[in-house]
Amino acid sequence: MGKEKISGKAKLVKVDDIDTDQIFHQSLLTIHDPQEIKQHIFGNLEGYENFAKENHENRILVVGKNFGKGSTRQQAVTGFLAHKIKAIIGVSFGPIYYSNAVNAGLLLVEAPGILEFLIDDFDVLEIDVKKATILNVDKGNEIKCNPIPKPALDIMEAGGLLKLGDKM
Amino acid sequence: MVKLGEMKGFTFIEKIIKSHANVADYEICPGNIVWVNLDLVTARDYAGPQVIDLFQENYQDAQTFDNERIIFTPDCYPYGNDPKHAIDQEKIRVFAKKHNIRVTDLGSGIGSHLLFRRGFSKPGDIAFGADSHYNILGALGILGQGAGDVMLAFAMKTGKSWIKIPETVKIELKGEYIWPTTSKDLALYVLKQLHDYGITGQAVEFYGDMISKLSIEDRITLCSLITEASGVIGFIPPDEVTAEFYRKQNIEIELLSADENANYVSELTINIQDLGLYVACPPHPHNVKSIEEVLGIPINSIIIGSCTNGTIADIREAAKVLKNQKISPEVRLGIVPATREDFVSAHKENTMTVILDAGGNFFGAGCATCAKGQYGLTGGETAVTMTTGNRNTQGKIGPADVYLASPVVAASTAIEGKIALPKLRDD
Repeated sequence: MGKEKISGKAKLVKVDDIDTDQIFHQSLLTIHDPQEIKQHIFGNLEGYENFAKENHENRILVVGKNFGKGSTRQQAVTGFLAHKIKAIIGVSFGPIYYSNAVNAGLLLVEAPGILEFLIDDFDVLEIDVKKATILNVDKGNEIKCNPIPKPALDIMEAGGLLKLGDKM
Repeated sequence: MVKLGEMKGFTFIEKIIKSHANVADYEICPGNIVWVNLDLVTARDYAGPQVIDLFQENYQDAQTFDNERIIFTPDCYPYGNDPKHAIDQEKIRVFAKKHNIRVTDLGSGIGSHLLFRRGFSKPGDIAFGADSHYNILGALGILGQGAGDVMLAFAMKTGKSWIKIPETVKIELKGEYIWPTTSKDLALYVLKQLHDYGITGQAVEFYGDMISKLSIEDRITLCSLITEASGVIGFIPPDEVTAEFYRKQNIEIELLSADENANYVSELTINIQDLGLYVACPPHPHNVKSIEEVLGIPINSIIIGSCTNGTIADIREAAKVLKNQKISPEVRLGIVPATREDFVSAHKENTMTVILDAGGNFFGAGCATCAKGQYGLTGGETAVTMTTGNRNTQGKIGPADVYLASPVVAASTAIEGKIALPKLRDD
């Protein structure tokens, strides 16, 4: 974090209402090692069961609306950090998921028009945090996203919420 | 727009946040993120051990912000059903002892319910816990929020959290319904409307003539499905019903309300006149259908419990239908009381005997059908579940289909072994 522009190749998971049980199933809740969590991401999401076996380093995930609705489980965020996903762009996110992601330093970008925006898997996307835009470098088109709130950026810049707690 | 000389009006959630944040009035607006001081921070046996690990890794032997404002509420996993959970539960007891923190230990019941049943939290408070249904506390005018491990470890150290002020939708429930329709049917119907309407990241406030007739248990049920529409919280502003509930615990409350000139993002009227019976069908809670559309679907595993419908009021509704009846031999019926208090009431008023005589079973107070190790999970493709809980995500409870319904419908379904309309039979 700390950069104004974040870029990476798109990975499309354009499914609405992905629940935390589809991201990281409740039967796995006693697992807390990020490397182990990583192996189960989307294990219960039809059509994406092999996601966890693939390499997604530096990719930008593109999802639908209400991503991460459901439980408070932190593992549903940790798993994407372990996959070294750079950011997740979605129409909207479950409110608890949003805060869990910010607190752990995973960038979530709300872009209400993302599903109509032309993107293919592996297109290079560039998120401009300051201008609140998403550029598809390969297709040359651009859309607006919601501005990322300053406190959220501050927390991510500090390396996560727990680091701030030292000073409070 | 706010006119000169006119005070800005605040919604219910804005008022609570305002009273817990050190910010100017103009900063209390939707979309803004503010730091709030928390009245209560809790964790349970599922996230609690990780919260403790994060606390100790990051803050070593530091004190918590206030040991009297923290509670551990192990409610997820039954007593000693798995060594892994037993180790986690023990970690909570050891940490709690070291920091002199209260534990509502196994068998006490679901943390979110204990918060209002035992007067740990009152209207106008902010309470954070490791439970995505903490927003059921909105039913009593408490800003309850579920939070992840990182937020809770931070909150236990600092007593603070950040919160993104949500927009609020004002909802008028128009009309009334009668038995066998109950608050679960209302909750399912409202969930469907709100999911279609779209309340992701928003708060709602419920109003309408029916509200004053709803018990605290009914209100909890209604507010428990806001999470399933990806809403932040549903509030029922405290009224005489709320005040009386707290008075019985010797607590006087303030009747907090939204300002008349509060700014709502939208207003919605939902007609609930003569509402019928509803069932949430696989694979999402918002896939709500009229019971008439699903009558006859075979069901063989039934759970009455959870933070949505596990109170004595719910157990009583089931007993009404099960009185002098036998459940189908194909069906397993489990009752998991939400709290020890609900369990004791069921015993004292004999509803427990009615249900046991009908062939149902009682299991220890706490959560149900939400996580591994809990009561009510199934295995195999043939175990089709009906639960009074709040989630039916495919693969969550078992490999087969899961339906969500009221205790009344669950009981009538238990008798028939298939989704069935309730009948009140003569004694």
